[in-house]
Order: sequence, then structure tokens, then C-alpha cells
Amino acid sequence: MNGINVERLSFSYSNRLVFENISFHIGDGEVLAILGPNGSGKTTLLKCLNMLLTPRGSVLVDMQDIQRIEGKHLAKIMGYVPQNHSPVFPYRVIDVVVSGRTPHLGLSAPSGDDFEKAYLALERLNISSLAERAYTQISGGELRLVLIARALVQQPRFLLLDEPTSHLDLANRMMVVKAIKEIAKEGISVIASEHDPNMAALFTDAVIFLKNGTLLASGDVSEVLTEENIECVFGVRAEIVERGGVRYVLPLLHRYDFSSELAST
Amino acid sequence: MKSDSLPKRRVVLEIFFLVLVPALIFIIYMSLGKYSASLFSVFRGNTKARFVSLNVRLPRATEAALFGAVSGISGASLQTALGNPLVSPYILGASSGAAFGAALSIAIFGNVSFLSTQPSALVFSLVAIFLTISLSRFKGHSSKVTLVLAGVIVSALFSGLLSLVQIMTEPEKTQAIVAWMIGRLSTATWKDLMTCTPLAVLGILGLLILRWRIFVLSSGEDEARSLGIQVERDRILVIILATVATAAVVSVAGVIGWVCLIAPHITRFIVGPHPRALLPASLSVGASFMLLADLISRTAWTFEVPVGVTTTIVGAPLFLYLMRRSLYEWN
Repeated sequence: MNGINVERLSFSYSNRLVFENISFHIGDGEVLAILGPNGSGKTTLLKCLNMLLTPRGSVLVDMQDIQRIEGKHLAKIMGYVPQNHSPVFPYRVIDVVVSGRTPHLGLSAPSGDDFEKAYLALERLNISSLAERAYTQISGGELRLVLIARALVQQPRFLLLDEPTSHLDLANRMMVVKAIKEIAKEGISVIASEHDPNMAALFTDAVIFLKNGTLLASGDVSEVLTEENIECVFGVRAEIVERGGVRYVLPLLHRYDFSSELAST
Repeated sequence: MKSDSLPKRRVVLEIFFLVLVPALIFIIYMSLGKYSASLFSVFRGNTKARFVSLNVRLPRATEAALFGAVSGISGASLQTALGNPLVSPYILGASSGAAFGAALSIAIFGNVSFLSTQPSALVFSLVAIFLTISLSRFKGHSSKVTLVLAGVIVSALFSGLLSLVQIMTEPEKTQAIVAWMIGRLSTATWKDLMTCTPLAVLGILGLLILRWRIFVLSSGEDEARSLGIQVERDRILVIILATVATAAVVSVAGVIGWVCLIAPHITRFIVGPHPRALLPASLSVGASFMLLADLISRTAWTFEVPVGVTTTIVGAPLFLYLMRRSLYEWN
């Protein structure tokens, strides 16, 4: 079976369990969102898929155990975009993007050919104009796209995105959403963690719900993005409406009984 | 399509200046001093001028340039690889280990000697660095934060041991220890250079070869790893190359502060932060800085001031200025 197969994955920091018994599958060119509230273990799960952390259980890439894949080779098939990146030195955007060629290089610096690939990636994401700018002086959404471009330059088959739309304004979020859809169209599988179900619904086909480190539900958006699951995972009553084939989650403020919550505290 | 996107003319101009400036300073350095020995008189066959130039000024100028070049590239490599513009080889323990080693040998043998002080300084400098690296491993992993913390701890430990040696030894020896620690080039000889050059050159070449890795390391631990880099291994390799080269020059010249911190910052203003240009250019800037500082030490006062004093007095305010400007530019 092609793609990534995750079987009974668990991870704990010394004695604190982060998540347990997670299984799912993603095929070529599919998009999967890991949905859950803050602190539900999404980031840790993503890091385990990329061997940044070593979990129990198994992650199989094209039926091959990921622990047996050498780091440099793994970087050729899997790209990773972190949630936070704090730049220290004001490198040019193009230099940051071209560093995605690292797994394809030895000790040598990237060649003209590598730079061309980097420019192409910027073009694909419509941010060519940023190439010469210092990446410390661009907006948060632009920085997120620059890091996605760097991952694309690795020429991966799988892309892991940690909270790709968080801390961004609406225009920047839509910029990222569009980029994810484009990337999937090209046959790259995307796994993205997300805490906003509305954002996830815009870019993903499949969802897994994570709460307190347990997988609560998984499946197509049309099947599992339901009022019951939203309430169960986020503790929020909501109404699901469908517009133009996309599901939207509307949190219902007036159905809240604040008085009982206040009384209990 | 643009290939590597660096404006060629600017690069050529930068290279020109980075070679020309240290060369000019070197010539001025060789010509000025208490004894007038211009290059002109040397070539005309003035034997006294020739002796002063070849056996006093030339080794001293070479040692200054080497010390500066090593400090520049070591500081630039560590700051970039650890993503911290305040790191220097000294912070990781290279200098306090060397100072302790020198003090110990002076206390035991009674004098500063080419045969005892330098090897002892070198050995303890290396001990300090390896102690820093091993202490930084927490639960089998070392991070850039634990590295700097371990460096501070090891520096403190060796400073404490140094004080102990100073207290337990005779006052004259303590004086020699203090003089060694300030850092000076007035005692430079060809012998000194022969002992420290191999390790210094090894460090410089290694860092130049690794400069693309150093760039990738600066993108952060998780990201560098997800780009296929063995982060801990490469980072420790960079630290070893930078600190071993520094230990080699410190063991002959003493602890000359601030160069390894300031030279990289000055270089960043000239060629930008990318190690591709930063590392080779920091060799030139470091060498120029040290030659200039030692020239001032030799000629600006009626008596000779150790160059370590000059670099500190010039360095502290200069660093403050650079920090303020870079904070302004980076934000």
C-alpha cells in the first residue's frame, strides 16, 4: 500500500503520556487534517511522523519502517513546516528557500540549478517578488509560505504542516489554504495539524479528531465533521452548515448556559 | 533565469576590498614603530632594519593576523551555527581553560616558557571544551541552549580554579599569570607561530568547508534535522573546529578579548549574514582588526600597552554600537 501507514502510535515524555494508540492512513496526493484543541498532542504527533521524536508503534512509508530510513533520504521524501520559526539572522528569502535542497547536496553549496528550483517554488506560491527581501522583514503569512516553498524545494512526496494557518489574518490564511490545495493537486500528500475546524474544512478531504491524546473519530469531512464530534472534541455546541460543497462550523453563543459554568467555578 | 542571484560586480568589489584592506594595514604595520624600518630600507639592504622586520615585526604581525583571522571565523561560525549572535569560543570555555592551564604551568615552572606554558594552555583549553560538550548532553541530547549553559558553567569552574592557583602561588608568579592572561603579542616569535599555525589552519579550513552546513544549522534544530542534517554531530564538529583553532592561538598570545565577538558583527555589516560570504570575509576583518589594534598598542602610547587591553577598551563601546545598530536593522 502506497502512502503513510500509522499503526498504534504512542508517545510520552518521560512519564507524561502525550498520545496513545493512534492509527490512520494517507495515500498519495491526499490531504489529511489533524484536528483538535490546543494541547491535544497534534504537534507531537507530526514530529513523530518525521522522526524528530521517536514514538512507540510504527510509521510505515510505502510499507517501509520509517525508523530504518536514513535521515537524508527521509528528507528527500518528507518536508516539514514548523508552526513557529524565529529568524535570528536577516537572510534573503531565496537563500532560505534554497536550503531545502540540502538533502540533495553533499557539503557543497547549492548550484545555479538548485537556485532555479528555488525560484520556481516561489513562483508556484506566487511570492516571487519576495526573493531578494530579508526574511525577517516579511509578514507572518509570507514567512509561512516561504517555509512551505523551502519544503517544496526538497521535492518531497509528503508534506507535514504544523498549524499552517495559525496566527495569521484572514487574507494570509486564505493564501496558505490556496497553497495547500495547489500542492495536493500536484500529487503531494499533505498532513496538517489544525485547531480551527473551519480552516481544515477549506483545504482537507479527510480529518482525524484528537483529544487528550486519543483519536476520537476519523474519516471524510462529510462524515465526521458533525455537531456531535465538534462538541465532543472542543466542548463547544455548534451548527454545521454547507455552502458550495464546503462545511462550515458555526459556534452557537446563545445556546451557551454561562450561568451554570460560573456557578460551578 | 538568474542562477545564484548575487550581483557579480558587488561580489568582486567586496573581495577586492577584503584582500586590499588587510594587505594595506599589514604594510603600514610593518613600517611603523619605535625603530624606523620601512619596507623600503629593508629592500635596500639595511641589515638592522632587516633584522627588526624579519625577526620582530614580521612574526608579530603574522601572529596578530592569524589570531584575528581565527577569532573572526570561529566567532562567525559559532554565532551562526548556534543561532546566537552573542556566542564566542570564549563563552564555551576555550579561554578560561587556557588561562588556567597557563597559570598552572607558570605556578609550577616559575616562568612563561614556550615549552611548558603553551602546551599546558592548549591542553586545558581543549579539556574545557570537551567538558562543555559532554556537560551539555542532557538525557543523551545536547541543544544549543544547554551548550551555552554548559560553557558558562565550565568557564566559571576554570575561573575558580585559576583564582585558587593565584592565591596559592608567590606574588611574582601571580604577576606573570596576570600579564599572560591580558593577552599580548609583544613576545611573538617564529617558534610560537610554528606551534599554533597547524591547528589554526586546520580549524579555518574545516570551517570554510562546512560553511553550507553551518548555514543550514542556523535554521534551528528541528528544521535542520528535517532537511536531512545530523544536527548534533555537525554542530559539535563546528564547535570543535572553532574552539581548537582558538585554543591554539590563545595558547601563544593569551586571552585577547572581544575580537571573536566583534569581528563577526562588523563582517555582517559588510557582506551580510550568510556564511557563504561571512566566513571567508570574517578572516579578513578579524585580521585587519587585530593588526590595527596591535598597531595602536605599539605606537599610540609612549609605552607599550598589551593588545588585549586595547581590544577591550576599543571593543566594548564598538560592540555596544554594533548591537544597537543591528537591533534597529533586524527589527
